[in-house]
Amino acid sequence: MRLAGSVAGVAAISVTGVTASAQAPDSTTRGAMPADPATVAMVRQWNGECVACHTEQALLFPPKAGMDLDRLADALMDPFAFNQSQHGGMACKTFHGKGFQDYPHDKQAGDAILGCSECHAKEAFRIQSQLDRSVHARNLSDRFSCTSCHDPHVDRVARDLADARQVVAQDNGKCLECHNSDERFAELGVSLPEARTRPDIDTIHEWLPNTQRHWQAVRCIECHTPASTHSTIAVNHQILDAEQAERNCTVCHSRDSSLNLRLYRWQTEREASELGFLNSAILGDSYVIGATRNVYLDQLAYWLVGLLLAALALHGGLRIIGALVRKRKGS
Amino acid sequence: MSDRVLILPLWIRLWHWSNAVLMIVLTITGISLHFADPESTWLVPFEISARVHIVAGLALAILYGFFVIANAWSGNWWQYVPKPQGWRDRVGKQMRFYFRGIFHGEPHPYPPTPQANFNSLQQLVYWIVMYLFMPILVVTGLIFTWPDLAPRRVFGMDGLVSVAVIHYLAGLVIVLFMLSHIYLATTGERVGSLVRMMITGWHEHEKR
Repeated sequence: MRLAGSVAGVAAISVTGVTASAQAPDSTTRGAMPADPATVAMVRQWNGECVACHTEQALLFPPKAGMDLDRLADALMDPFAFNQSQHGGMACKTFHGKGFQDYPHDKQAGDAILGCSECHAKEAFRIQSQLDRSVHARNLSDRFSCTSCHDPHVDRVARDLADARQVVAQDNGKCLECHNSDERFAELGVSLPEARTRPDIDTIHEWLPNTQRHWQAVRCIECHTPASTHSTIAVNHQILDAEQAERNCTVCHSRDSSLNLRLYRWQTEREASELGFLNSAILGDSYVIGATRNVYLDQLAYWLVGLLLAALALHGGLRIIGALVRKRKGS
Repeated sequence: MSDRVLILPLWIRLWHWSNAVLMIVLTITGISLHFADPESTWLVPFEISARVHIVAGLALAILYGFFVIANAWSGNWWQYVPKPQGWRDRVGKQMRFYFRGIFHGEPHPYPPTPQANFNSLQQLVYWIVMYLFMPILVVTGLIFTWPDLAPRRVFGMDGLVSVAVIHYLAGLVIVLFMLSHIYLATTGERVGSLVRMMITGWHEHEKR
């Protein structure tokens, strides 16, 4: 499986028209909405021409005569979601290639669509080896690509989502799209040597206490990926199967919770130890037993228990001495 | 020579020892959960602690419900109520015994009788522990077991944070009580007298 050329979405050229490869962009900020209102208006105007046809509205009321509505139905997008997405500042016409600039589109236009790695070359290079070891690559080979999980018209990066719960909902949605759908699971798994029935997600995770609570609070990938090995890549793309996945609760439920390096990676730096709570960045969303305890209250407990035990030991010692003295006097 | 008098009926003794076992289990698993550490060699593994703590906690909640009902039904609840008249003198006398008289082998100022099992200090402490801290501990524990019952947000944090802190503090008070209680159980007329009474129900008054 190769990452290059695998995307059927937006990629490649910034709104200024400079090619990505020529500009060597920072792919983590590239594509975000430009600050200049005039540029935003220009991009919106360009994209408006595409959106006029590529939405559900157009499918119901075709803006042009003689449109192939079956093909159009496979090429719809949500302009609102796109504008909010990480790629929302990009002009679609330019990225999808010149063949899409006029209507009817050039029959060969699809060949010119650029892949994710055109902009995300550095990440793609690092992710490739991780992806090759993932359960998806092993089982699905070329049927699995970046867009199997990442929707370039919709996705937002975790750093820009203020609420960890939104990150969880977005990321788990990607997994559940296939792992909670018999149809999609069977569709992707058709190339497997032996047909596999989709296991029920809740059933196979029954061992996890408060399963639904976990689904809302953390991402599947907290357990189903190893820790990231690159500082610039938040998520290791080696997706682990059930046998390899993490089952040690204390990886998250402890003082050095791995959630700090994963889901709360973007928040932990600014909220190191608020009010004495360890891993306090998590507290806005969840109380994680073992991870979000309060050091002041723990010190209070150490002192109170320690002093009490010392007092009881002293009391007991004095009783023993008193008894010995009485015994000696008595004898 | 000794006089024997039946102080504790069977149901109280059964409740007491079941409660004691559950409390010890809950303390050990509670500590293991709260101070969870993948490198620790002495804590109970998190996965086991989580399951045992929930099961033992539910058993404790049921047992506490039994205690409250049986106590009310049998009239034993009255034993727990601090009696206002002259309580300061009685508590003071009891404290003086623990801080001075016990070292000199003096007799207990208020030995248990069927009418008054507890001295005034016991009444005060047991009443606070059983009717204030235990309900707090049980209710917050039940919310912890079904976290959707917790308020959504408290002080800008997830609602479960305040539940967890209250559960922790109530648990701490109970642990402090339990340690004192176990020690004070050795302060009978003989070291094992009170424990024996808690098992047999009979209190033996030594003749001096």
